[in-house]
Amino acid sequence: MKKLQFSFSTKLTFDDYVHDHSFALRFTPVESPAQHITAFGAEISPFASTRNTVDAFGNTVTSGFLQKEHRFLDFEINGIAEIDISKPKTDFMPCYRYQTHFTKPDVALSEFHRFSAEKCSCSDPYGKAMFYSEKISEQIRYEKGVTTIKTTAAEAFGLKAGVCQDYAHILLSMLRMDGIPCRYAAGLACCDGETHGWVEVWDGEKWVGIDPANDRPANEDYLILSQGRDFGDCAIDRGVMFGAYTKQLQLISSKLEEIA
Amino acid sequence: MGTISLEHGDRLYWLGRYTERVFTTLKSLERLYDKLIDRDPKHYIKYLECFGLSDDFGSPEKFLQSFIFGRENCYSAAYSLERAYDNGIVLREEISTEALAYLQLAMDRLEKADASKSGLVVSLLPVEDTIFSFWGCIYDYVYDEEIKNIILCGKAVERLELCVRLKYNGELINREFERLCRNLSKIPKNTPYRYNTEQLSVLVEIIESENCCKGRENQVLTALGKLFDPVDGKGRKTA
Amino acid sequence: MTIADTAVCRSRPVTPVADAGEINELLRRYGVKFGIYKNGQFKEQLFPFDPIPRIIPAEDFKGIEKGLIQRVDALNRFLYDIYHEKNIINDGIVPENFVYISSGYLPQCEGITPPNKIYSHISGIDLVQGKGKEWYILEDNLRIPSGASYPLIARELTRAASPAAFSGNDIIDNRNYAKLLKETMDFANRGGINAILTPGRYNAAYFEHSYLAELTGAALVQNDELFVEDNVLYQKTYSGGKTKIGALYRRISDEYLDPLTFEPTSLIGIPNLMEAYRSGNVAIINALGNGVADDKGIYYFVPKMIKYYLGEEPILKNAPTYLPFYNEDREYVLKNLEKLVIKDVAEAGGYGVVFGRDLDEKALEDFRQTIIREPRRFIAQEVIDFLDLPILENGGEVMRKADLRAFVLSGEKTKVWASGLTRFSRNPDSFVVNSSQGGGFKDTWVLSR
Repeated sequence: MKKLQFSFSTKLTFDDYVHDHSFALRFTPVESPAQHITAFGAEISPFASTRNTVDAFGNTVTSGFLQKEHRFLDFEINGIAEIDISKPKTDFMPCYRYQTHFTKPDVALSEFHRFSAEKCSCSDPYGKAMFYSEKISEQIRYEKGVTTIKTTAAEAFGLKAGVCQDYAHILLSMLRMDGIPCRYAAGLACCDGETHGWVEVWDGEKWVGIDPANDRPANEDYLILSQGRDFGDCAIDRGVMFGAYTKQLQLISSKLEEIA
Repeated sequence: MGTISLEHGDRLYWLGRYTERVFTTLKSLERLYDKLIDRDPKHYIKYLECFGLSDDFGSPEKFLQSFIFGRENCYSAAYSLERAYDNGIVLREEISTEALAYLQLAMDRLEKADASKSGLVVSLLPVEDTIFSFWGCIYDYVYDEEIKNIILCGKAVERLELCVRLKYNGELINREFERLCRNLSKIPKNTPYRYNTEQLSVLVEIIESENCCKGRENQVLTALGKLFDPVDGKGRKTA
Repeated sequence: MTIADTAVCRSRPVTPVADAGEINELLRRYGVKFGIYKNGQFKEQLFPFDPIPRIIPAEDFKGIEKGLIQRVDALNRFLYDIYHEKNIINDGIVPENFVYISSGYLPQCEGITPPNKIYSHISGIDLVQGKGKEWYILEDNLRIPSGASYPLIARELTRAASPAAFSGNDIIDNRNYAKLLKETMDFANRGGINAILTPGRYNAAYFEHSYLAELTGAALVQNDELFVEDNVLYQKTYSGGKTKIGALYRRISDEYLDPLTFEPTSLIGIPNLMEAYRSGNVAIINALGNGVADDKGIYYFVPKMIKYYLGEEPILKNAPTYLPFYNEDREYVLKNLEKLVIKDVAEAGGYGVVFGRDLDEKALEDFRQTIIREPRRFIAQEVIDFLDLPILENGGEVMRKADLRAFVLSGEKTKVWASGLTRFSRNPDSFVVNSSQGGGFKDTWVLSR
């Protein structure tokens, strides 16, 4: 068991006034047997009346509406979590077995999967996932700015480059080609100044974390903010607003450290 | 009712304006047509000048064809009728299917008039009858006085504007202005569809002066155009 | 079910109710049109009306009514089950992947219970009658079935144009549709007004949206006048205030309904509508995620659902259907492709329908390979020998293919509207009756005795 202190903030600034701004935030860490939140605080500025619901994937959704004109939206969370990956998480959904818009393979990715599967000596889901993760790291170069938040697994695989989100989507795609249920996890990881994305694999009884971008198991240094079939289900902040703005600037900072 | 949306406020106003524009345009062109029968064949150039246009037509027949039936000509009755329908079609719940059907019927009848072999005035009569029926529906079926009044404000603004543009006599303009003022006075306070008081003062000053608007038509037209402009600079869209 | 060819039907002369030109003129005047885009230009077209009504005798209708209520009740039970316990999958009645691969299945709806557990409030069930007068279900439409407004206004106008045809003929008045619809909305309503959400006047079915709003007294709304605050859906009012909406009869597809949950680029949706819905503050009519039950692949399983949920024998038959997904069915389909009709499960509106008999040997072989490669993508059906209906064309009667879209409304009780939209193909060789493909419509008379 590890005790982690976390904080995360984003500052969204517009170059002109916006109004009728609806937003949905998935920034409350998921409560599970393996992840217990002992302290939590959240702040949104400018002040907006918000409500919480829990979505189909178990994420807390904080939704709000800012009708008046404003030029920025900041939100911040902080708290303490106890992470204990020896405690099993068993919240299964059958949809995790099936490809989505983000993970649907093309011919090249299917070929790569077939090739990797033939080479793989493991038959258990977690072993396969670790093996595929290694193969993906051999193929894909970690590089920022090559892909966007809309890039699919097949597109990133074609580019042979991407960030954590792309690594995760490729791994999800490959596991689902084997019929293995798996899901996307978004959150914070130690030594990472932004948000991170990784994968959880269903080993038949419980979820096991794996971080394909770093090609290593997701241990107790990972805090899950949201989870779902792919990045699309997990977006930490989504919003729709009106106004004559042409640009928006988002600054993110996060901190995660072990405390005694 | 009580649940008109902001968007519909504008639609109602422009429904009134465009429908009235069709009617007054037809009536004024019929009078012009009469003049064109036996007197000055170039009379229509004066009409064009009222709108700041020059003669691109060359003949009274082509001019009339374009200003009555020409859908491409934004000053024509046919064009205004289409715009009236465009506004009306999203107002079915407010004005009723019946009223909307009269706008459709007017469009159909205008097309028939175009193909008709009768004299122009006679062939346009069914169109005018239909527009009167439309107004009958508005008076009879729209229970909500506020909704009805927005449409009638649009109607009165349009009538006055065309009278000024076409340089009708002062007495007539004064009468139409009085009608507009009666409609304006019915607008409840604290409603977003308020008129702009500054513009109204300009209108009162000019129209009620001794020479009415003679020589100051442009000022009147500008003030009329801005009469229902949003006061706070945001919110309502213009049509 | 075989419905007897009753004497009532035969003894009644099937004559036009009114002059076709006169009625179509009236329909035009009342704006009975649907919009289409042709070469990028928006055009409004008349939906051609045929004055010879389809007549359904009371006995026949009783059977159809019972069968439709049974079917829609089972479909509603299925939808609840799929988004909750999934017993029908766990018990092996419906294979898991038929549900989860369906594009209509929305995992975002897992665990959400709509008011009164009703998912499909307004169901449009398409039926055809075979030569032997027996009825078959062709398709279920549980998302946003359209078309009820056309027979509704046509009846209003035909009664005005030829009252004699209706006088003493025991034709059930179908103009109660607005009342049925309002009852359905009121029953689902979570407090607040009823509203009909339209994508706007350039939508194909805009006439219907505005006409039904006028008749039911619901507000006709577009997304730019709506917002969600504190998980409550509001309409911005003219005077700067807001009005709570308790039931939203939306005529926009699921994927465009909330840009914060589904398609992020949607310009016609309402941000955070999903949160208001999940919180139980607004009823969405029809519920989200219904596409999983009217999927062409799931259609095959509806008779099994009826047995499973209701313990009853299905009253109305499906058209004989094969799923290439099952080995046995696939073999049959590959062997008999030239006499079957193949439907792509992802397509709608008459698209993606291929008749084997229209394909040459090479095309047949290519198609067989496609089916082998993607068995889950298609269903195959026997071509039903339709009972043709008489249509008036150039002053004479001709026989054309026609179907019937029946409307089933689920409120406090499940009710079948005693009418429906009879669509026919104007092309003598065509089986496709969709308005988007140039078809016309007839009034549907259900007799009271």
